[in-house]
Amino acid sequence: MDTNAEILVDKRTIDEIISRNAGKPGMLLTSMEEIQEANEYKFLDQQSMEHLSYRTKVPLSQIYSVATFYSFFNLKPQGKHTIIVCRGTACHTKGSKVLLEDLNILPGCKDAFDNGETSFTTEDRQITVKTVACFGQCALAPVVAVDGMIYSNVTSEMILKLLQNLREDKKDENIKLC
Amino acid sequence: MRISNYADLEEIRLKAATKILPDKPYIAVGMGTCGIGRGAEVLYDSFQRIINERKLDIILKKTGCFGFCAEEPLVNIYIPGKPLVILHRLAEVDVIPVVSAIQKGLMPFRNVLCRIEDWDFITGKFEFGKGLTEHPLWNEIPFFKWQKKIVLRNCGLIVPDDIEEYIGVGGYFPLYSVLTGKSPQEVIDEVKLSKLRGRGGAGFPTGQKWELMAKVKADQKYVICNADEGDPGAFMNRNEIESDPFMLLEGMTIGAYAMDASKGVVYIRAEYPLAVRRLKGAIEQAKSLGLLGENILGSGFNFDIDIVEGAGAFVCGEETALIKSIEGKAGRPVPRPPYPAVKGLFDYPTNINNVETWCNIPVVMSKGASWFTETGTDKSAGTKVFSLVGKVKNTGLVELPLGSTLETIVFRIGEGSGSQKRVKAVQTGGPSGGCIPVDYMKTPVDYESLNALGAIMGSGGMVVMDQDNCMVDVARYFTEFSNSESCGKCTPCREGLAQTLEIIKKFTSGKAQEEDIKTLEELGQVIKATALCGLGQTAPNPVLTTLRYFRDEYDHHMIEKKCEPGICQDLFTALCENSCPMHMNIPRYLQLLKENKLEDAFESSLRDNPLPSTIGRICHFHCQMKCRREGIDAPVSQGEIHRYISDTVYAKESYRKIYDRLISEKMPPTHKKIAIVGGGPAGLTAAYYLVRLGHDVTIYDSESEAGGILRWGIPKYRLPLDILQREIDFIKELGVKFVMNTCVGKDISLEQLEHDNHVVILAVGAQKDTELQIPGCNLNGVISGMDFLKEIAHEKKPEIGHHVVIVGAGNVAIDAARTALRLGSEVTVVYRRLKADMPANKDEIKEAENEGVNFLFLCNPEEILADANDKVRGVRLMKMACGEVDLSNRRKPVPTGEFFTLDCDNVIMAIGEEVDAEFAKEYGINLKSNGNILVDHFTHETNHPKFYAIGDAITGPATAAEAMGIAKKAAEVIDLKLMDKNRFHKLFREFEYSNEVPLKPEGGNRHYSVKLPLEERIGNFKEISLGYTPAQAYAEAARCLRCDVRTTVKREEE
Repeated sequence: MDTNAEILVDKRTIDEIISRNAGKPGMLLTSMEEIQEANEYKFLDQQSMEHLSYRTKVPLSQIYSVATFYSFFNLKPQGKHTIIVCRGTACHTKGSKVLLEDLNILPGCKDAFDNGETSFTTEDRQITVKTVACFGQCALAPVVAVDGMIYSNVTSEMILKLLQNLREDKKDENIKLC
Repeated sequence: MRISNYADLEEIRLKAATKILPDKPYIAVGMGTCGIGRGAEVLYDSFQRIINERKLDIILKKTGCFGFCAEEPLVNIYIPGKPLVILHRLAEVDVIPVVSAIQKGLMPFRNVLCRIEDWDFITGKFEFGKGLTEHPLWNEIPFFKWQKKIVLRNCGLIVPDDIEEYIGVGGYFPLYSVLTGKSPQEVIDEVKLSKLRGRGGAGFPTGQKWELMAKVKADQKYVICNADEGDPGAFMNRNEIESDPFMLLEGMTIGAYAMDASKGVVYIRAEYPLAVRRLKGAIEQAKSLGLLGENILGSGFNFDIDIVEGAGAFVCGEETALIKSIEGKAGRPVPRPPYPAVKGLFDYPTNINNVETWCNIPVVMSKGASWFTETGTDKSAGTKVFSLVGKVKNTGLVELPLGSTLETIVFRIGEGSGSQKRVKAVQTGGPSGGCIPVDYMKTPVDYESLNALGAIMGSGGMVVMDQDNCMVDVARYFTEFSNSESCGKCTPCREGLAQTLEIIKKFTSGKAQEEDIKTLEELGQVIKATALCGLGQTAPNPVLTTLRYFRDEYDHHMIEKKCEPGICQDLFTALCENSCPMHMNIPRYLQLLKENKLEDAFESSLRDNPLPSTIGRICHFHCQMKCRREGIDAPVSQGEIHRYISDTVYAKESYRKIYDRLISEKMPPTHKKIAIVGGGPAGLTAAYYLVRLGHDVTIYDSESEAGGILRWGIPKYRLPLDILQREIDFIKELGVKFVMNTCVGKDISLEQLEHDNHVVILAVGAQKDTELQIPGCNLNGVISGMDFLKEIAHEKKPEIGHHVVIVGAGNVAIDAARTALRLGSEVTVVYRRLKADMPANKDEIKEAENEGVNFLFLCNPEEILADANDKVRGVRLMKMACGEVDLSNRRKPVPTGEFFTLDCDNVIMAIGEEVDAEFAKEYGINLKSNGNILVDHFTHETNHPKFYAIGDAITGPATAAEAMGIAKKAAEVIDLKLMDKNRFHKLFREFEYSNEVPLKPEGGNRHYSVKLPLEERIGNFKEISLGYTPAQAYAEAARCLRCDVRTTVKREEE
């Protein structure tokens, strides 16, 4: 786990999150989700998890168990941009595997997924490639999300355009795909 | 303002009724996730801008999703007094015209999907207006015709962010009547009577479930809504929450009252941010009006709801895992009992139901149980929402009464695959469900019927698959998914699924053995019986159903090590090579041509295909249908190129070297005698390979010359005789003996052949005309299409009159049509379906049209009319209309009752061919019910030892290339059987060529060969397609993207 001091979450932020969710069902899960969101690199760093354990009196082992069980939580810093390919049934039927393979143009990506990883971040931490089981936009399969924006009926040509845009650090903010 | 009595509620309802039917126009943009994904937000902003700029008195609303996702963006237009109109596929350019029309009080007329005159919101009814009959009513269009909207009653029609609109259509009145007029037990009794079953997938009777919890006494009880919706392919719950969050809240409140619960939790997956937002907003609004929280509606009943977002674990859809997740632990299921109703969240009694189950509750309380049971079947009351997705034309959310058939959903509502491909299967129930083949589509959709097929209803996801999907890959996909989502606690699921995946990967990589099928089956059953939770217990279903219904695909992967749809990459070189019936190494000969190695290119194609110049002219070109280059501009003309290669080498005479090489390579004589009955494409191909393997081969044929359909059917303007003859002559040169003018069964007996040979191969083709039994079919002047073509091939001139009508739509019909044209007749082809449904070669149809053949579609011949001399004088035809899409993915022709007569002198029948294998049947060889010879799919053995069969004789009428592909496979297995050694691969060799992949697409757009101009074709049979010029051939070969090259490794110079 990374212990780079720059990317910690402010302890006060964590305290605020804990007190806001106190007493509610799902308190731990929700707090962890919000703490990860508060981190610039969208991951749960060691220090934050320790502080959460200290404040809530939940053993660190349980927090770690939850962090590693749910695919939502990242234990490594994520890239600046995220591109998510949906691998749900409808998307798979309409060829989303080919779209994922199109992203193998990023060195190291193919090896990561072949070895069973579910996410891959480029060395320069610019781009993270992830898969998701289903976005729920099945009627417009195949579906790809880039930085939270969902694109539908995506083709190989389109995903390569999106990727290129990200590599140029989102040169085109409102990229239009035909 | 808090609502504390009926008057308050009624006041809001009346006020809101003016929001539903205001006195000024409104525009409502569908803003579900799908709509936004197609640009609805941009549309909304554009409408806003124009309305503000022009200072118009038009209300702009955000509504939910009406369900027809494929047609998004959907926009509702309301003008007082007129029907509500729904526009579809709206784009930014449509904004101004739409607004301008409304300004003038006119309804926009472009992009109209349907109109709604009145709407039953179940809890209330509203009338919009009558008229605008030029647009269909919503339930007149196929997508909605068979739907019944109960759960989705409000979706896409009200504003989901506005609680007042929900009350306006009658919402929260059911809650009011429950809290003020019914006891908890009365509520439970009503739900029991309604026979509502859990909509999450298992279908447990809801009323019963509630009663179990109601009986338990405790200080604190919980109700939970399972909105995890983890099934990939399912998004019903997402839409239900996004488009109508209040019905969920109302349902849960009624349930909490019935079961005496004071706290509620909605566990919703994080992948649904819009649904989370809408639900949070809804909860706040409900609280502020006193419809949630303390003292609801002044009744003294307290109930509050919290939201917990999931974190990406499919297993948390299982109720005990869901509970653990809320408690802040890893979501690992626990055994039951104890059931959550007794000991659930934080050890308190808990009732968990799916979103859709809760959404049905207000309706049940509003209309009553007996109304509810009027819909659906005896055991499964009500409706179910399904997500219809995948390879289907109309994708979206559909709601139908339980008991509707799969056919209704996929073919009537979905209108089939939407392309020329055939639907193969429908997958229901997500990773817990099964794949149901198209033959079972008349099955009603209800819990019991689907269970009987080995599938489950599940949450309602329906993924349609077509012939391009590999079912083994589908099984692998689901197993991979379930395996990675497994919590890992119990051995059957954790280890069992991991091993299942490994075994399926053996199939997709060509390493599977017969015992692996047994192991998969056994493993699946054990996991089902012993896994701890529902995930494990149902995870083997995709594997077990694909084994049950698509065993042939597993066999294909295992025995032939091929994946026909071209998905399992280890089993093919390139998509073109995979779809070619003879598996020609196409990228290889294209590359060799590019490198100017013409003789190598020829040898490469000749080793794969004994008739390269012939097939290059007449093939259906399956290769082009799969070419990846089509994604850029157009497919590569692979067949045209191998025709160019062999034509050129024949002209140069450099073929001689290659011929000599193949002859010298012939394996030593095996002294095995093989008789082949039939010298058509299949027979010739089998002979070609078997003679090179050293066997003693003789072809028997009833005609005077060999070639079968190639010589006696296909007209010379498509295939000149000298080309065919040269290629047949080489087969003769290789040593195959030909005994012509000999009809097996008459001139020589099968008994004789059996006695004289080690192996007899039946390759008699499908030569018998299918008869059209209509009055007049035996009149003088009615000719069989096959006979007509044969006469021409025999250089006789059949007597035909001035106008010829041809009945049929296959290649024989088109060949006959263009031939009759050349004999000077006026030709009309009649077909009972549409042009797109014609099975003939598309190029042939186009050329026929160019040459002046008339086509009449949607006409069915009913009677052939005779003149005074009992000769043909005309045909009486019935006009047909296009009906619904049937299981073959084509529209059923429906008789209209309108007739007309076509005058003509002759009628040529070409509606199809059949296999005539009576002679074999008499000898004791089994036939199928349609007359085809019955063989084992992989060994080509008939029931009679020594007798094999290949080509159209076993498949029924197909194409020449397909017949040759079968023959090539058969030659390999027959040789293996005879010699007990794998020798077939020795007939092929490696070639030297570069594997450099073009970095940019080369060669420009597709090249078309020069064709003989129309004037030069009249009255003769000269060849029409003149082939490529050298420049064209090289450029076309360069267009190949070399997708057969998988990895290139660059070595650093040291």
